[in-house]
Amino acid sequence: MKILEEVNLEAWKKVKELGADKTMELLKKKGLTGRGGACFLTGLKWEFAKKARGNEKFVICNADEGEPGTFKDKLILDNNPENVIEGIIIAAYCVGAKKAYIYLRGEYHYLHNKLENVIKKVLENAKSDLKIEIVEGAGAYICGDETAIIASIENRRGYPHFKPPYPPQEGLFNKPTVINNVETLANVPLAIVNDEWSDEVRLFSVSGDVAKAGVYELKVGTKLGEIANVAGAKDPKAVYFGAAGGCVKYSDNFVVSADKVCKEEAMLGACSLIFVSKKRSMLDMAMNIAQFFKHESCGKCTPCREGNVHVLRLLEKIKRGEGNEDDFGLLEKLCITIRDTALCGLGQSCTNHVLTALKFFKGDFK
Amino acid sequence: MKIIKLKINRKEVEAKDGEFIIDAAKRNGIDIPHFCYNERLERIGACRICVVEVKGMDKLQASCCTQVRGGMEISTHSPRVLEARRMNMQLLLANHDLYCTICKENLMCKLQRYASELMIEDTPFESLHREDEVDNSSVSIRRDNNKCILCEQCVRVCNNVQTVYAIGMVNRGVKTRITPNFGHNMKESSCINCGQCVVACPTGALTEKSDIQGVINALNSDKYLIVQTAPSIRATLGELFDIPAGTPVTGKMVTALRQIGFDKVFDTNIGADICIVEEANEFVGRVKNNGVLPMITTCCPAWIKFGEQFYYEELNKNMSTCRSPQAIVASLIKTYYAKNIKKDPKDIVLVDIMPCTAKKYEVLRPEFKGETDFVLTTVELGKLLKQLNVDFVHLPDSEFDNPLGMSTGAADIFGHTGGVMEAALRTAADMLSGEDLKAIDYTKIRGMDEIKETEVEIAGKKIKICVVHTTGAARKLLEQIKKGKSPYHFIEIMACYGGCIGGGGQPPPNSKGVLKKRTQALINVDEAKKIRKSHKNPAVIKLYKEYLGKPGSERAHKLLHTKYSKKTYV
Repeated sequence: MKILEEVNLEAWKKVKELGADKTMELLKKKGLTGRGGACFLTGLKWEFAKKARGNEKFVICNADEGEPGTFKDKLILDNNPENVIEGIIIAAYCVGAKKAYIYLRGEYHYLHNKLENVIKKVLENAKSDLKIEIVEGAGAYICGDETAIIASIENRRGYPHFKPPYPPQEGLFNKPTVINNVETLANVPLAIVNDEWSDEVRLFSVSGDVAKAGVYELKVGTKLGEIANVAGAKDPKAVYFGAAGGCVKYSDNFVVSADKVCKEEAMLGACSLIFVSKKRSMLDMAMNIAQFFKHESCGKCTPCREGNVHVLRLLEKIKRGEGNEDDFGLLEKLCITIRDTALCGLGQSCTNHVLTALKFFKGDFK
Repeated sequence: MKIIKLKINRKEVEAKDGEFIIDAAKRNGIDIPHFCYNERLERIGACRICVVEVKGMDKLQASCCTQVRGGMEISTHSPRVLEARRMNMQLLLANHDLYCTICKENLMCKLQRYASELMIEDTPFESLHREDEVDNSSVSIRRDNNKCILCEQCVRVCNNVQTVYAIGMVNRGVKTRITPNFGHNMKESSCINCGQCVVACPTGALTEKSDIQGVINALNSDKYLIVQTAPSIRATLGELFDIPAGTPVTGKMVTALRQIGFDKVFDTNIGADICIVEEANEFVGRVKNNGVLPMITTCCPAWIKFGEQFYYEELNKNMSTCRSPQAIVASLIKTYYAKNIKKDPKDIVLVDIMPCTAKKYEVLRPEFKGETDFVLTTVELGKLLKQLNVDFVHLPDSEFDNPLGMSTGAADIFGHTGGVMEAALRTAADMLSGEDLKAIDYTKIRGMDEIKETEVEIAGKKIKICVVHTTGAARKLLEQIKKGKSPYHFIEIMACYGGCIGGGGQPPPNSKGVLKKRTQALINVDEAKKIRKSHKNPAVIKLYKEYLGKPGSERAHKLLHTKYSKKTYV
């Protein structure tokens, strides 16, 4: 896997020669975009933070990978944390941060000590005086949202905050802050040193009704048929993009790219593909995911907190065979209201799975 | 500031660049419904009732936390907006106790009001049937989580403004609740009873602990019934009867109280005048004899509990020993006045009408035991008068009873931030200089700034003054004193924003605009009075001559002063 190639601080050496501005220019030229799902140009994000006024700045590595069916960051942290740390050092250097945090998913506690050692080793070798602190999450899904991470690191309740202000302007402790995903930061040194590096190559977390679930390194634009083939998908009928991304109808020739997925009103997000075989009912899938969102809604905003309870209740009613046309209408209206009015990105996307399933698999709901 | 143009509901309007949609709309005559937004609190964008449609933006936007931009086209009531707003309301209602007619907040509830305005006649969602235990442990505040809609106003007021941290959020998702720490109740918490959460709460989740029934029972007994009303009540009571904010209703209030059966209607104002005489005397004594400075006023029971909880060891010597005006009048009624009318104090029932939920706590302090029988807030008095069929608006005016009904302008201004200090300065300046000074308007300590300071020169001595309201602002000064770095000689602290006119028992909303009007009403009452210095009050002079002796005398100390003790909390 390309993402696991060791760079051994070659990029850091090059960055020190180039200086911050040219490094960010280079990253923009290479087209490195955020791997968390929003696909924002990493170099540009750093520039915002660099230009923002503040006597102190921070870098946060978002290692709170909590989306169902997503496990690519774990692979990187387990097998090539050195590149991530190098990425953090470079990011901090570019924006002018003296302190960085790794916000580690609570369930990845077992990686904590290992990461501590790697941080120490890499910082020593890089002769960097950056401070990197690991903060462990407590298991809340919402703490994958960057503004909730900020609240959590500040010892506040893990609640998201409206934007703007965006973190590069006003983030951790109200100081300019860059927050990047693990995979993004691991790609930073690779993009800097490898001429043939391409932003199109991503890690895909593939799971569900497949023989070989796991992380695959593929180009964006690969067809679903190819992925189904390598992972050994059995009679697929649908593919979910995580839980929040919603689903599409499976077809061999469906091209997996942000645009194409978006056209189906789903979201590619962090490239997590959950295959669903023909044996399953999409209603069961919907109930399972709705249960997850009901459990993980942080409780801050009305539509997500209250709405997800009723999404599940309506699905249960339909499952019992008691659903009528009004219930379907209400369910759809409710999902749209949550999508349209929820406070954070997670709330806004938590009903995509119902809306897309209703669109493509209405038959499963009858 | 740059002015930009945008369109709201197809009409071109002007707005300040960077201001929030809800504020721009408000200035243009559009009152967008909202629960979590409060002009004085940090914006959180949680309730999603204030959503609007902005052309070019995919999702609906919460108008309380979306800034305006030039050329923006906003709709505050498109079909999409109304539908979403209605559904979010219905979601709240499905998780709410819907027994509106038997709710304490009935007719004052914002949830009820918006449900009515949005013409919501049912909710299509199954009721979640919440069954949370009602917390009745506090003597001031009743907490009914079944009616909480999680707008977090109370939490923000308590933590960010007051820095009391009595309540916070627990659990997640639909199980989220607001509660004191670690499952304790309100009584065990660090709550200072200020009631700012009560005024902020849009629903019946937080209400004052009601003593109305006790008063009705007393009114129907054969006891001798006395009532006293705090300085600020006259400026706020009218609002409960749809009289515009800032209209003093002193005369009607007195008539109403007499009409429902009180034998005597006294004015807490005379206690304020006595309080000033004692406090100014104490201050002058401290200045002359190099006593502990700064001296801090102690009219506010919520601040006293705050001080006793968080700063007792360091600051108890800085606190004036003077009782609050209400406690002074209460003590005089059950001693001096009872003797005067030859009644056993046990046969007198005293009801105090206060702007304040903390008063309910204060009168139960062991130091004041047996003095006041009931405390009603302004809101409770309004409810009582309505229950007893008082046609308030059409009542004629009448005067307070004597001997405890006469007061000066200095007492009226006790009701707003800076007023106690201004009144104290009027008297202390005369005392220190030995003259009858003409300049008595200390305008620098008026207004809504949270920390106001000034320096006055009295008899060649420079006196540094500071006035703060909200305990959060007070904490800054107290930290200074603790470190021995306070530059001040005399400090006034009021726990509530705006002072008593913004008290926890006042009619909501305690918005800046309303508070300014109430303040102005009190200033007008003061300016209209002939006597505006507490020590010039003939009734006070007579009282000292006949009963109390000199300010600071032994009897004065027994009846007009108090002591403090360390308070603990979990």
